[in-house]
Amino acid sequence: MVGTVTARPTAEPAAARLAAVALLAGRKLGGALLVIWGVVTFTFLVVRVVAPDPIGLLVPPGAGTEVRDAVRTELGLDGSIVSQYGIYLGHLARGDLGTSFGTNQPVSDDLLDRFPATLELAVPALIIGVALGTGLGIVAALRRGRLADHAIRVVTVAALAMPPFWLGLMLLSLFFVSLGILPGPIGRLPAGVDPPPTMTGSYVLDALLAGDTQTAGLAAAQLVLPVAVLACGIFAPITRVARSGMVEALRSDYVRTATAYGFPHRRVLTAHALRNALLPVITMIANGVAFAFTGAVLVEGVFGWPGIGQYALVAVQQSDFPALQGFVLYAAVVYVVLYALVDLAYAAADPRTRS
Amino acid sequence: MSAAPGRWWRHHPMSARLGAALMLLLLVAALVGRLWTPYDPNTPGVGDPFLAPGARHWFGTDQAGADVFSMTLAATATDVWLTVVAVALAFAIGGVLGAVAGYWGGWTDWLIMRVTEVLQSFPALLLAMLLVAALGNGLVNVIVVVAFVGLPGYLRLIRAEVKARRGWEFADAAILAGNSGAGVLARHLVPNSLTPLVSYAAVNAAWVAIVVSSLGFIGVGIEPGSPEWGSMIAGGRDFPDEYWISLFPGLGILLLSTAFYLVGDGIVDRDER
Repeated sequence: MVGTVTARPTAEPAAARLAAVALLAGRKLGGALLVIWGVVTFTFLVVRVVAPDPIGLLVPPGAGTEVRDAVRTELGLDGSIVSQYGIYLGHLARGDLGTSFGTNQPVSDDLLDRFPATLELAVPALIIGVALGTGLGIVAALRRGRLADHAIRVVTVAALAMPPFWLGLMLLSLFFVSLGILPGPIGRLPAGVDPPPTMTGSYVLDALLAGDTQTAGLAAAQLVLPVAVLACGIFAPITRVARSGMVEALRSDYVRTATAYGFPHRRVLTAHALRNALLPVITMIANGVAFAFTGAVLVEGVFGWPGIGQYALVAVQQSDFPALQGFVLYAAVVYVVLYALVDLAYAAADPRTRS
Repeated sequence: MSAAPGRWWRHHPMSARLGAALMLLLLVAALVGRLWTPYDPNTPGVGDPFLAPGARHWFGTDQAGADVFSMTLAATATDVWLTVVAVALAFAIGGVLGAVAGYWGGWTDWLIMRVTEVLQSFPALLLAMLLVAALGNGLVNVIVVVAFVGLPGYLRLIRAEVKARRGWEFADAAILAGNSGAGVLARHLVPNSLTPLVSYAAVNAAWVAIVVSSLGFIGVGIEPGSPEWGSMIAGGRDFPDEYWISLFPGLGILLLSTAFYLVGDGIVDRDER
């Protein structure tokens, strides 16, 4: 057998992999639908049973019972809780999340309007966070126990232990108030600058596509601090997972064997260690996407960013339950779909996880 | 967890020692903040508004002239207490439910796991935000909600541990010796399953400290007007020129969360050596 060893593990046939993953995808879809039904029911119970009656918030003070009953009927809140639940499910099935008390618009329209702003922060933050996190994790593992490892650990723990909204405020104090090199918390563009014609939804890209480099520059400057704060929340957990995965891989028998066979160090690292070490990072990327939602609530308010996070924040402060419910439901469904995709990604990458 | 603090100290790496020392410091600060603060934390006008940190007001004063040092010190007890109680509650209830699900299996297990799955499908902070908004602000509500949101993690961990050990010989032996299933679970299986939970609890507490202050920051925390770090930061949000109003309570959260992370990491490191 000597001489027939290859550096790369033999790949399984593509057709077999596809069939196995497709079977799993069907099962996952069923499970995901069940969980989404649970999520919908749970939020319904919280908002309709636990939360106080919303009618008091909607009618003018001192309104008579007739007005109250009319509003109740209009909102579909007059029947029994079971019939309300039925009506709610029917509306949801048609993509109707209800009407916001605050904006008087359908919640789904409100969320769609604000989503591009959130995405403009989330996408660059995710790219930076994932790249930085995996990079630092690998460096820490390779330099385990040395200065670089310790330094990365300090930075990572500090990033994890820091409340994002506080970091945002402190960065504003430093870079906007004291140094004056970055713009203040005034949203996506300074007042008086018209947004570029919508093509992608990202102001920076749209302005570039329209050939307006000045607006693109202004929009990019507004992005720097909020993206930095979000990326800070994303890279730290990825660093920890990438480091421990890589440390484990470097200690493994297959890396020792490959090294003993005399494969070049660089090749052992990339073809053997890294492939296995970075598998758990897939989950962490999904966590990063989830954090983009959570972080949006904490960060968008600080920077006056008109995304779905700020919408949810206003909804909380005004007890606007349809808006809040719609936002949380939206986030949960994205979460469920994302984790189902993560499971499939694992199954595609690693046959051992297909049980 | 060994009995003597000296032993604990010798058997844990530097990071855990540092974390434990930080935690002790915060506990002392929490205690001091309850008994004594240089000025009354709830009284505005003990100094001029917007005084920068100095000899009379170490952390400066806010827009109403209240002393930021006194407020930060008084709030220490709130945040530390909220974090510790919420984690203890999640640990206890999650532990019991997880042990029951893992030991008896069957439909109890199925139901508990499906509910857990649904709860874990929500981004945790958003679920907490929705629940406190529905229940109303308040100390007890925040504790209950944060514990509830953290519960599934503990539940799943102990369930897996108990499930794995259920068929081990010491469990069978205890049953054959005439003990009831519940007795074996409580006296043998659960105590043997706690180690991974302790390091998880420490890391989880670090996260809980941030969630508690985040709820305060977005306005769904404890009763308005009580000293709490997150709501103090929200109070300083409109005054970016006077950074000190937000800086010091934020450092408090950072220290508390760091302390728990370091202890949690230290326990993991010790177990891996």
